[in-house]
Amino acid sequence: MSEYLLTQVINYGAPLLWVVVFVGGLGVPLPCTVLVIAAGAFAREGFLPWHTTALVSIVSVVTGDVISYLIGYYAREHVLERFSHTPRWLQAEASFRKWGPLSIFFSRFLVTAIALPVTLLSGTTRFPFKKWLKYDAAGEIVWILGYGGLGYLFGSQWELVSDFLNNFGGLVLGVLIFVFGVKQVWNWQLKRQQLSK
Amino acid sequence: MFTKIKKEQRALVIGLTTLGCLLTLFFGLRAFHALKKFQGHPLPPLHSEIETDVDEIRDWMTIPFISQMYGVPEDDLFDALEIPPHGNRRKSIEELNREFYPHANGLVIEIIKTTILAHQAPPTPVPPAKPLPPLTPIPAAP
Repeated sequence: MSEYLLTQVINYGAPLLWVVVFVGGLGVPLPCTVLVIAAGAFAREGFLPWHTTALVSIVSVVTGDVISYLIGYYAREHVLERFSHTPRWLQAEASFRKWGPLSIFFSRFLVTAIALPVTLLSGTTRFPFKKWLKYDAAGEIVWILGYGGLGYLFGSQWELVSDFLNNFGGLVLGVLIFVFGVKQVWNWQLKRQQLSK
Repeated sequence: MFTKIKKEQRALVIGLTTLGCLLTLFFGLRAFHALKKFQGHPLPPLHSEIETDVDEIRDWMTIPFISQMYGVPEDDLFDALEIPPHGNRRKSIEELNREFYPHANGLVIEIIKTTILAHQAPPTPVPPAKPLPPLTPIPAAP
Protein backbone atom coordinates (compact mmCIF):
# COMPACT_ATOMS: atom_id res chain seq x y z
CA MET A 1 0.00 0.00 0.00
CA SER A 2 2.66 2.50 1.05
CA GLU A 3 4.76 1.72 -2.06
CA TYR A 4 1.77 2.28 -4.33
CA LEU A 5 0.98 5.58 -2.61
CA LEU A 6 4.63 6.69 -2.79
CA THR A 7 4.59 6.17 -6.57
CA GLN A 8 1.36 8.15 -6.83
CA VAL A 9 2.74 11.02 -4.73
CA ILE A 10 5.69 11.19 -7.15
CA ASN A 11 3.26 11.23 -10.09
CA TYR A 12 0.55 13.55 -8.82
CA GLY A 13 2.50 15.60 -6.29
CA ALA A 14 1.22 17.47 -3.25
CA PRO A 15 -2.56 17.31 -4.08
CA LEU A 16 -2.48 13.53 -3.64
CA LEU A 17 -0.70 13.92 -0.29
CA TRP A 18 -3.39 16.38 0.81
CA VAL A 19 -6.13 13.89 -0.07
CA VAL A 20 -4.32 11.04 1.72
CA VAL A 21 -3.76 12.97 4.96
CA PHE A 22 -7.37 14.22 4.88
CA VAL A 23 -8.66 10.65 4.53
CA GLY A 24 -6.18 9.59 7.25
CA GLY A 25 -7.61 12.33 9.49
CA LEU A 26 -11.03 10.72 9.01
CA GLY A 27 -9.59 7.57 10.53
CA VAL A 28 -8.99 5.44 7.44
CA PRO A 29 -5.83 3.43 8.19
CA LEU A 30 -3.38 4.69 5.57
CA PRO A 31 0.41 4.87 5.91
CA CYS A 32 0.25 8.65 6.35
CA THR A 33 3.35 8.99 8.53
CA VAL A 34 5.49 7.20 5.93
CA LEU A 35 4.14 9.55 3.24
CA VAL A 36 4.76 12.67 5.33
CA ILE A 37 8.39 11.69 5.97
CA ALA A 38 8.84 10.74 2.30
CA ALA A 39 7.27 14.04 1.23
CA GLY A 40 9.98 15.86 3.17
CA ALA A 41 12.60 13.89 1.24
CA PHE A 42 10.80 14.59 -2.06
CA ALA A 43 10.78 18.30 -1.22
CA ARG A 44 14.53 18.12 -0.78
CA GLU A 45 14.87 16.46 -4.20
CA GLY A 46 12.85 19.35 -5.64
CA PHE A 47 9.74 17.28 -6.41
CA LEU A 48 7.42 19.09 -4.02
CA PRO A 49 7.30 22.74 -2.88
CA TRP A 50 7.82 22.23 0.85
CA HIS A 51 5.96 25.33 2.12
CA THR A 52 2.70 24.83 0.16
CA THR A 53 2.81 21.08 0.72
CA ALA A 54 3.25 21.50 4.47
CA LEU A 55 0.66 24.26 4.87
CA VAL A 56 -2.11 22.58 2.88
CA SER A 57 -1.32 19.19 4.48
CA ILE A 58 -1.86 20.71 7.94
CA VAL A 59 -5.17 22.24 6.83
CA SER A 60 -6.25 18.94 5.20
CA VAL A 61 -5.47 16.72 8.16
CA VAL A 62 -7.05 19.13 10.68
CA THR A 63 -10.19 19.25 8.49
CA GLY A 64 -10.33 15.43 8.54
CA ASP A 65 -9.90 15.49 12.32
CA VAL A 66 -12.71 18.06 12.73
CA ILE A 67 -15.08 15.80 10.76
CA SER A 68 -14.13 12.86 13.03
CA TYR A 69 -14.72 15.07 16.10
CA LEU A 70 -18.16 16.01 14.75
CA ILE A 71 -19.02 12.35 14.17
CA GLY A 72 -18.20 11.69 17.83
CA TYR A 73 -20.09 14.85 18.87
CA TYR A 74 -23.31 13.84 17.13
CA ALA A 75 -22.98 10.18 18.08
CA ARG A 76 -23.10 11.14 21.77
CA GLU A 77 -26.83 10.40 22.09
CA HIS A 78 -26.36 6.86 20.77
CA VAL A 79 -23.42 6.27 23.10
CA LEU A 80 -25.32 7.65 26.09
CA GLU A 81 -28.32 5.44 25.33
CA ARG A 82 -26.03 2.48 25.85
CA PHE A 83 -23.69 3.68 28.61
CA SER A 84 -25.21 6.78 30.22
CA HIS A 85 -24.52 7.25 33.90
CA THR A 86 -22.71 3.93 34.25
CA PRO A 87 -19.75 4.36 36.61
CA ARG A 88 -17.40 3.30 33.79
CA TRP A 89 -18.67 6.05 31.46
CA LEU A 90 -18.46 8.71 34.16
CA GLN A 91 -14.95 7.54 34.98
CA ALA A 92 -13.98 7.65 31.29
CA GLU A 93 -15.37 11.19 30.97
CA ALA A 94 -13.54 12.34 34.09
CA SER A 95 -10.22 10.87 33.03
CA PHE A 96 -10.61 12.31 29.54
CA ARG A 97 -11.15 15.77 31.02
CA LYS A 98 -7.90 15.26 32.95
CA TRP A 99 -5.74 13.60 30.28
CA GLY A 100 -7.58 14.80 27.15
CA PRO A 101 -5.24 17.62 26.08
CA LEU A 102 -2.14 15.44 26.38
CA SER A 103 -3.70 12.49 24.60
CA ILE A 104 -5.05 14.72 21.82
CA PHE A 105 -1.63 16.30 21.28
CA PHE A 106 0.53 13.17 21.42
CA SER A 107 -1.84 10.92 19.49
CA ARG A 108 -1.48 13.23 16.48
CA PHE A 109 2.14 12.26 15.83
CA LEU A 110 3.59 9.88 18.42
CA VAL A 111 0.91 7.25 19.07
CA THR A 112 -1.11 7.60 15.89
CA ALA A 113 -2.79 4.21 16.44
CA ILE A 114 -5.06 5.82 19.05
CA ALA A 115 -5.67 9.08 17.13
CA LEU A 116 -9.15 8.13 15.88
CA PRO A 117 -10.49 6.77 19.20
CA VAL A 118 -9.18 9.88 20.97
CA THR A 119 -10.85 12.19 18.42
CA LEU A 120 -14.15 10.32 18.61
CA LEU A 121 -14.00 10.32 22.41
CA SER A 122 -13.27 14.07 22.36
CA GLY A 123 -16.49 14.63 20.42
CA THR A 124 -18.56 12.15 22.44
CA THR A 125 -17.49 13.60 25.78
CA ARG A 126 -18.13 17.12 24.39
CA PHE A 127 -14.54 18.19 25.02
CA PRO A 128 -14.60 21.99 24.37
CA PHE A 129 -14.13 22.41 20.61
CA LYS A 130 -11.80 25.43 20.66
CA LYS A 131 -9.52 23.79 23.19
CA TRP A 132 -9.61 20.52 21.25
CA LEU A 133 -8.78 22.32 18.00
CA LYS A 134 -5.81 24.05 19.63
CA TYR A 135 -4.23 20.78 20.78
CA ASP A 136 -5.17 18.95 17.60
CA ALA A 137 -3.65 21.59 15.35
CA ALA A 138 -0.50 21.79 17.52
CA GLY A 139 -0.05 18.01 17.28
CA GLU A 140 -0.62 17.98 13.53
CA ILE A 141 1.86 20.83 13.04
CA VAL A 142 4.48 18.80 14.92
CA TRP A 143 3.59 15.79 12.77
CA ILE A 144 3.81 17.56 9.41
CA LEU A 145 6.69 19.94 10.10
CA GLY A 146 8.64 17.71 12.48
CA TYR A 147 8.35 14.41 10.62
CA GLY A 148 8.44 16.06 7.20
CA GLY A 149 11.44 18.07 8.36
CA LEU A 150 13.26 14.88 9.37
CA GLY A 151 12.51 13.48 5.90
CA TYR A 152 13.96 16.66 4.40
CA LEU A 153 17.05 16.43 6.59
CA PHE A 154 17.73 12.77 5.83
CA GLY A 155 16.88 13.01 2.10
CA SER A 156 17.25 9.68 0.34
CA GLN A 157 17.79 7.97 3.72
CA TRP A 158 14.27 8.90 4.90
CA GLU A 159 13.33 5.21 5.21
CA LEU A 160 15.63 4.91 8.23
CA VAL A 161 13.74 7.72 9.96
CA SER A 162 10.38 6.22 9.04
CA ASP A 163 11.42 2.79 10.30
CA PHE A 164 12.60 4.21 13.62
CA LEU A 165 9.60 6.50 14.22
CA ASN A 166 7.03 3.81 13.38
CA ASN A 167 8.65 1.39 15.80
CA PHE A 168 9.08 4.07 18.45
CA GLY A 169 5.35 4.87 18.21
CA GLY A 170 4.59 1.18 18.75
CA LEU A 171 6.95 1.12 21.71
CA VAL A 172 5.20 4.10 23.34
CA LEU A 173 1.80 2.48 22.77
CA GLY A 174 3.05 -0.76 24.36
CA VAL A 175 4.40 1.11 27.39
CA LEU A 176 1.10 3.01 27.78
CA ILE A 177 -0.98 -0.18 27.69
CA PHE A 178 1.40 -1.89 30.10
CA VAL A 179 1.36 1.05 32.55
CA PHE A 180 -2.44 1.20 32.36
CA GLY A 181 -2.68 -2.51 33.18
CA VAL A 182 -0.19 -2.32 36.05
CA LYS A 183 -1.99 0.73 37.48
CA GLN A 184 -5.30 -1.14 37.40
CA VAL A 185 -3.80 -4.17 39.16
CA TRP A 186 -2.23 -1.82 41.75
CA ASN A 187 -5.63 -0.21 42.41
CA TRP A 188 -7.20 -3.62 42.95
CA GLN A 189 -4.51 -4.53 45.42
CA LEU A 190 -5.12 -1.32 47.37
CA LYS A 191 -8.88 -1.96 47.42
CA ARG A 192 -8.35 -5.52 48.60
CA GLN A 193 -6.07 -4.32 51.40
CA GLN A 194 -8.65 -1.72 52.49
CA LEU A 195 -11.41 -4.34 52.53
CA SER A 196 -9.35 -6.77 54.55
CA LYS A 197 -8.69 -4.05 57.13
CA MET B 1 -23.21 -11.72 38.13
CA PHE B 2 -20.95 -9.31 39.99
CA THR B 3 -18.24 -11.95 40.39
CA LYS B 4 -18.50 -12.82 36.70
CA ILE B 5 -17.96 -9.15 35.71
CA LYS B 6 -15.05 -8.95 38.11
CA LYS B 7 -13.52 -12.05 36.57
CA GLU B 8 -14.01 -10.70 33.05
CA GLN B 9 -12.46 -7.37 34.05
CA ARG B 10 -9.52 -9.12 35.63
CA ALA B 11 -8.97 -11.25 32.53
CA LEU B 12 -9.19 -8.14 30.36
CA VAL B 13 -6.66 -6.22 32.45
CA ILE B 14 -4.25 -9.16 32.60
CA GLY B 15 -4.62 -9.60 28.84
CA LEU B 16 -3.95 -5.90 28.27
CA THR B 17 -0.91 -5.92 30.55
CA THR B 18 0.51 -8.93 28.72
CA LEU B 19 -0.22 -7.32 25.36
CA GLY B 20 1.47 -4.11 26.51
CA CYS B 21 4.50 -6.06 27.65
CA LEU B 22 4.73 -7.94 24.34
CA LEU B 23 4.27 -4.76 22.29
CA THR B 24 6.95 -3.01 24.34
CA LEU B 25 9.42 -5.86 23.78
CA PHE B 26 8.61 -6.24 20.08
CA PHE B 27 8.69 -2.56 19.12
CA GLY B 28 11.50 -1.82 21.57
CA LEU B 29 13.77 -4.31 19.85
CA ARG B 30 12.78 -3.06 16.41
CA ALA B 31 13.32 0.57 17.43
CA PHE B 32 16.71 -0.36 18.86
CA HIS B 33 17.74 -2.05 15.61
CA ALA B 34 16.46 0.93 13.59
CA LEU B 35 18.50 3.24 15.82
CA LYS B 36 21.60 1.12 15.26
CA LYS B 37 21.08 1.40 11.49
CA PHE B 38 20.90 5.19 11.94
CA GLN B 39 24.32 5.29 13.54
CA GLY B 40 25.83 3.47 10.56
CA HIS B 41 24.60 6.15 8.13
CA PRO B 42 25.97 9.68 8.33
CA LEU B 43 23.56 12.49 7.42
CA PRO B 44 23.76 13.38 3.72
CA PRO B 45 25.13 16.90 3.11
CA LEU B 46 22.26 19.41 2.87
CA HIS B 47 23.42 21.07 -0.31
CA SER B 48 24.35 18.06 -2.41
CA GLU B 49 22.43 18.50 -5.65
CA ILE B 50 22.27 14.94 -6.94
CA GLU B 51 22.28 11.53 -5.35
CA THR B 52 25.15 9.22 -6.21
CA ASP B 53 24.44 6.06 -4.22
CA VAL B 54 22.54 3.69 -6.54
CA ASP B 55 21.60 1.46 -3.62
CA GLU B 56 18.98 4.07 -2.70
CA ILE B 57 16.90 3.15 -5.78
CA ARG B 58 13.63 1.46 -4.85
CA ASP B 59 10.98 -0.51 -6.75
CA TRP B 60 8.30 2.17 -6.22
CA MET B 61 10.30 4.91 -7.94
CA THR B 62 9.49 6.08 -11.47
CA ILE B 63 11.96 6.79 -14.26
CA PRO B 64 11.43 10.61 -14.21
CA PHE B 65 11.98 10.59 -10.43
CA ILE B 66 15.21 8.60 -10.72
CA SER B 67 16.29 10.79 -13.61
CA GLN B 68 15.98 13.93 -11.49
CA MET B 69 17.39 12.30 -8.36
CA TYR B 70 20.56 11.07 -10.08
CA GLY B 71 20.87 13.72 -12.80
CA VAL B 72 20.67 11.19 -15.64
CA PRO B 73 18.50 12.05 -18.70
CA GLU B 74 15.19 10.16 -18.77
CA ASP B 75 15.70 9.16 -22.41
CA ASP B 76 18.98 7.47 -21.57
CA LEU B 77 17.26 5.36 -18.92
CA PHE B 78 14.37 4.43 -21.22
CA ASP B 79 16.83 3.65 -24.05
CA ALA B 80 18.86 1.40 -21.78
CA LEU B 81 15.66 -0.41 -20.78
CA GLU B 82 14.46 -0.55 -24.41
CA ILE B 83 11.09 0.74 -23.25
CA PRO B 84 9.20 3.62 -24.97
CA PRO B 85 8.78 6.62 -22.60
CA HIS B 86 5.24 7.29 -23.85
CA GLY B 87 2.74 5.79 -21.46
CA ASN B 88 5.43 4.50 -19.12
CA ARG B 89 6.59 7.65 -17.35
CA ARG B 90 4.20 7.18 -14.44
CA LYS B 91 4.86 3.50 -13.93
CA SER B 92 7.02 2.31 -11.07
CA ILE B 93 10.10 0.19 -11.67
CA GLU B 94 8.19 -2.80 -10.36
CA GLU B 95 5.35 -2.24 -12.85
CA LEU B 96 7.81 -1.83 -15.72
CA ASN B 97 9.57 -5.03 -14.74
CA ARG B 98 6.30 -6.93 -14.52
CA GLU B 99 5.13 -5.60 -17.88
CA PHE B 100 8.28 -5.71 -20.00
CA TYR B 101 10.50 -8.33 -18.34
CA PRO B 102 8.06 -10.66 -16.57
CA HIS B 103 10.53 -13.52 -16.50
CA ALA B 104 13.52 -11.56 -15.22
CA ASN B 105 12.76 -10.35 -11.72
CA GLY B 106 14.84 -7.31 -10.72
CA LEU B 107 16.26 -6.78 -14.21
CA VAL B 108 14.91 -3.24 -14.62
CA ILE B 109 16.47 -1.97 -11.39
CA GLU B 110 19.82 -3.56 -12.33
CA ILE B 111 19.82 -1.94 -15.80
CA ILE B 112 18.97 1.43 -14.23
CA LYS B 113 21.80 1.10 -11.71
CA THR B 114 24.29 0.17 -14.43
CA THR B 115 23.16 3.09 -16.63
CA ILE B 116 23.48 5.58 -13.76
CA LEU B 117 26.93 4.30 -12.80
CA ALA B 118 28.01 4.60 -16.43
CA HIS B 119 26.85 8.25 -16.43
CA GLN B 120 28.62 9.20 -13.25
CA ALA B 121 31.92 10.93 -13.78
CA PRO B 122 34.85 8.62 -13.16
CA PRO B 123 36.63 9.38 -9.92
CA THR B 124 39.37 11.97 -10.29
CA PRO B 125 42.73 10.26 -10.13
CA VAL B 126 44.70 10.92 -6.99
CA PRO B 127 48.03 12.57 -7.87
CA PRO B 128 51.01 10.43 -6.93
CA ALA B 129 52.56 11.36 -3.65
CA LYS B 130 55.69 13.47 -3.80
CA PRO B 131 58.76 11.34 -3.31
CA LEU B 132 60.17 11.83 0.12
CA PRO B 133 63.60 13.41 0.37
CA PRO B 134 66.30 10.91 1.21
CA LEU B 135 66.81 10.51 4.86
CA THR B 136 69.75 12.54 6.14
CA PRO B 137 71.80 10.70 8.64
CA ILE B 138 71.49 12.13 12.14
CA PRO B 139 74.88 13.36 13.23
CA ALA B 140 76.20 11.27 15.98
CA ALA B 141 76.37 12.90 19.36
CA PRO B 142 79.89 14.04 20.33
